[in-house]
Parts: sequence; C-alpha cells; structure tokens
Amino acid sequence: MARDLDIVSRRGRLTRGALSVWALLIYVFLFAPIVLLVVFSFNANRYGTFPITGWTTKWYGQVFHDYQIRDALTTTIRIALEVTLVSTVVGTAAAFPLVRSRLRFRSGIRIALVLPIMIPGLLIGVSLLVLFTNVFHQELSPTTAVIGQSVYTTPFVLLLVAARLQGFDASLERAASDLGANTFKRLRYVVLPLLAPAILAGALFAFTLSLDEFIITLFLIGSHNTLPIYIYTQVKFGITPEVNALAALLLAASLCLMALAFVLPGIVRRALRLVPRRAG
Amino acid sequence: MAAPGSSPGVQATQSADTALPLGRPGRRSWTSRLGEYAGFGPALVLFGLFFLVPLGLIVCYSFWQTVDYNVVHDWTFDNYRYFFSVPTYVRTLWATVWVSVAATALTLVLAFPFAYWLARYVPKRYQKVLLILVILPFWTSYLLRVYSWLTILGPQGAMNRFLQWTGATSKPVSFFLYDRPAVILVLVYLYFPFGALTLYASLERFDWNQFRAAMDLGATPRTAMWRILLPQMKPGITTAVIFVFIPILGEYLTPQLVGGARGVMIGNLIVNFFQGAQYTRGAAAALLIAALIVVLLAVFRRSLEVEDPYGT
Repeated sequence: MARDLDIVSRRGRLTRGALSVWALLIYVFLFAPIVLLVVFSFNANRYGTFPITGWTTKWYGQVFHDYQIRDALTTTIRIALEVTLVSTVVGTAAAFPLVRSRLRFRSGIRIALVLPIMIPGLLIGVSLLVLFTNVFHQELSPTTAVIGQSVYTTPFVLLLVAARLQGFDASLERAASDLGANTFKRLRYVVLPLLAPAILAGALFAFTLSLDEFIITLFLIGSHNTLPIYIYTQVKFGITPEVNALAALLLAASLCLMALAFVLPGIVRRALRLVPRRAG
Repeated sequence: MAAPGSSPGVQATQSADTALPLGRPGRRSWTSRLGEYAGFGPALVLFGLFFLVPLGLIVCYSFWQTVDYNVVHDWTFDNYRYFFSVPTYVRTLWATVWVSVAATALTLVLAFPFAYWLARYVPKRYQKVLLILVILPFWTSYLLRVYSWLTILGPQGAMNRFLQWTGATSKPVSFFLYDRPAVILVLVYLYFPFGALTLYASLERFDWNQFRAAMDLGATPRTAMWRILLPQMKPGITTAVIFVFIPILGEYLTPQLVGGARGVMIGNLIVNFFQGAQYTRGAAAALLIAALIVVLLAVFRRSLEVEDPYGT
C-alpha cells in the first residue's frame, strides 16, 4: 500500500496533517454561511444580522402569517408538482431508447440531452422568454415557468433512470417475454418495478430543483411569485429577519427532500423485494 | 443506481451495445423499430421546441433589429457593432472573462488539496459520506447560498463584526461587499462542490502504486505528483474546468447581489437589455457568452476525449 510509505516518514505525516486541517477549513467555508443564516433566523435583532440580542421564533410566526409568502408557497408547490410530473415522464421515457436502442450518434445525443444542465440557466431563460412573448404571443404565467424549469430538470431524471437501466439485467425481460408477457406486461411487472427506485429519486430531485430554481423562473413567471423570486425581491432592499426565517425553512425543505432522494430508493427496493417473497 | 450526488458531469450511461434487443432475432419490422425510438418523442418535443428552437431564435435575434420596440427581420451586425462600440460593455465582457478565469482557477486550487486528502488519506468507507457533505450545500437553494453571504460580508455582517471586535476598524466598512473580490469569493463558494467532485472522481481512479513505484525509483513526491499523477488527471481537471467555468460565465445573481456597480458581469447586461425590451441587443450579448462556451469546448475537446492515457 502506498499509504504506509507516508505514515513512516515524518514529512508524510506532516503533509497528511496539513491536508486534514485544510479539509476542515473547507467544510467550515462550505457550511458557515448556511449555519449563520439559520442562526440569524432565530435572532431577536430586527436587522437580521449581528449582534445576537436574544433568541426568538417570532420571525417564523410572521412567515406563516404573511399572505404574500403563502401565495408564493402555493405557486411554488404547484409549479414543482407539475415540473416533477413532466420531467419524470419525459426523462424516464427517453432513458429507454438512450440506453437500449442501436443509436448511431449515442454520445452526441447524450451530450445534447444533458446540455440544458451545462449551459447557464440565463440563456434558457431569455431564449424561452423570446419564444413565448414574441413568437407564441403567450402571456407569461406559472405554466411558462413549468416548461422552462422542466427543460432544466428533465436531464437529471434522465441520467438517474438511464444509469439504473444500464445496470439492469436484460435477461429478466427476455425471460418474461419467453413466458408470454407482452410489451405492456413486461413494462408493468418487470421493468417499472425494477426502475421504481431510480424514478422516485429522479422525481424527488426534480421537485427539489424546481423548488429552488431561480434564474429561469425569473424570466418566465410573469406577475406571479415563487418563493425564490419573492425572497429575491425582498433581498434587494436588504436583509430582514423574516426573510432569514423563510430562507431557513426553504433550506430545511430542500435538505429533507434530498435526504429522501438518497434514502427512499433503498427503502422502496427493499419493500419491492419483499412482495414476491410473500407471494411465493 | 448512481448516487444522487453524482454531478451532471459524470455521464451516467456507458456504451450499451451489450444489451441485446428483445423479441425475435433477424430483421425487425419498421413498427418495432419505431417503438424502440418512441421514448424519445416527448423529449424531442421538450428539448426541441423549448430548448433548441429558442436558442436558434436567439441566434436569429442577435442578427435582427429592434425598431420602435418591434423586431424587424433585417439581417445585420448592428447589435454586435453596438455592443463593441460602448466601452462599458466591452470592459464588462473582459471583466466577465477575467472573473470567470480567476474564480475557476481559485476553485480548483482550493479543491485539489481537498480531493487529494479525501482520495488518499481517508479510509474508503468514510469517503462517500464526506463527499456527500461537500455536495450537500450544492443541493440547497442557489439563491439562498448567495444570499447567505450578505449576512457575512454586509455592513452589519460577521466579517465587520469580527473586525470591530478585534479593533481593526471602529466602524463598519463595506470593503468586502460590492466589488469583484466579493463576487469571486461567492462564485468559488457556489461552484466548489463541482470542482471537488470531479477532481475526486479522477483521483479515486488513480492507482497509488504508480506513485510509490516512482518514489522507489528515486522520484521526490513533488516529481511523482507532476510527472505521474497530474498527467493522468488531465481529463478530470479539464472536466472540472468546463463544469465550473461555463456556469460562471452566465452568472447573474452573484454580481447582482454582492457585486455592486464594480462587480457587474455580462449576465447583468443581458438581463438589463431584456428587461428594457431591447431583445435583439440582449440576444447579441447572450450569444457572446455562447460563443465563449463554444471556444472553451473547442480548446479542451482533445483532452476531453483522452479518457485514459495509460490504458489502465
């Protein structure tokens, strides 16, 4: 092992120690702003920053009673649900031919499909703005925002499902076929149950991304507000403790959803494995 | 399943020619072949109509004209000529490139020792958890991550409080905010997970025995690093550069919130154009970003293709 070599020499130990300190600093750098934000949301000081003059949950109470925030929350969740539906269906459907068909330009198509993740959201936002307002003469609404966000979230679902489909044992499906299952039955009883964890993770991903999406929504939402857009309009006038509280809630929501995206697929897989055992 | 934490840069699918088609062998009817590709249908509509068409439209718009708030389909270079005739815009374009290069370089310089530590010194079973911890902030709201820095860099923020506490200044200074250094700092913060993840993925594949062999043959650790490790990491570094640099080029929010007048980037110009209904000029500015991206991809194309120089 290369590892022993470093441990033996004093210099190796020194390098290792220095790098560990560095890594610790990196974690502090990554988490300090988020932690501070949450701390400030419980701070009684009405300027929303230092000094900490006492602890309170007053700002959270205000968040729940603000009708603008409630409106924004409703719009956000409605959009997120629609985006989840669109990107899960479109992404899952596209994963099949991407992995299984004999594509001539497979790598090219794969790059084209993940391009919406790579290029700045700003470009997606302005280009769709032009399409909707100047070509379709469509009023901007939550629906246009749903379309814009779906362009960005669908590749994530596609990648997750495609990865799962890749590790999928095709002989299972051939066996089902030999036993007389038609395409629909193969899909319903063999493929989809095996893909379910990945599809679920993809759906949670899409939902979280939609919840937090800012730049595309900014251009396409029109006169409505989502929570990020609402926070943005507030932040332009400075920091308020109410926004800190709202921010902390949104952070907690995304973290919980992401944790679910990590944990749920495993649970579903285990649950599905139990079903045939019971049947047999 | 790939961990949800795997970056968009990590391509999820490999060559799938091993998967045999279902059904009877031999020639298949055109309907079954159509069925094979049917799954692309919805994606074709979504990405075709709402991604490629609009991008094409932006290209067209950048060569058209706005007359009295109406877009006239006369082909001209006027929008580009206009952009380059305004010194502020040209300066902003260069500032954007400069800031993007600086932020990308800084991200990688900060991320490399971290990724190196994670891949080499941390026991395998803890690596994944520690990696997820790095990526975690990335899966929280982008807006809030920028906003959170206001509470640190702002006049009443943590930084000023700290300085006043140590006695370095007596009253709040806005030195940290509303300038380019603040923009670069926040950009590094935003895209660090991208950099760390791609570099780690590349380091994780590295066979440390090669390192040891080099040192057995008399190489110093530094030589081993430069001659053995880094050449093999080239594709990983390239991917990291691309995935950090490209989104930074199109940044709007960070300069808007922490950059002030001196931190303006081209994304802010584009938004101003579009909000002022100057669609064609905005399209030209947007296309300049796209052009920079294309140049970047063209420059790095060769090293991106070299997946595994040592054939291991």
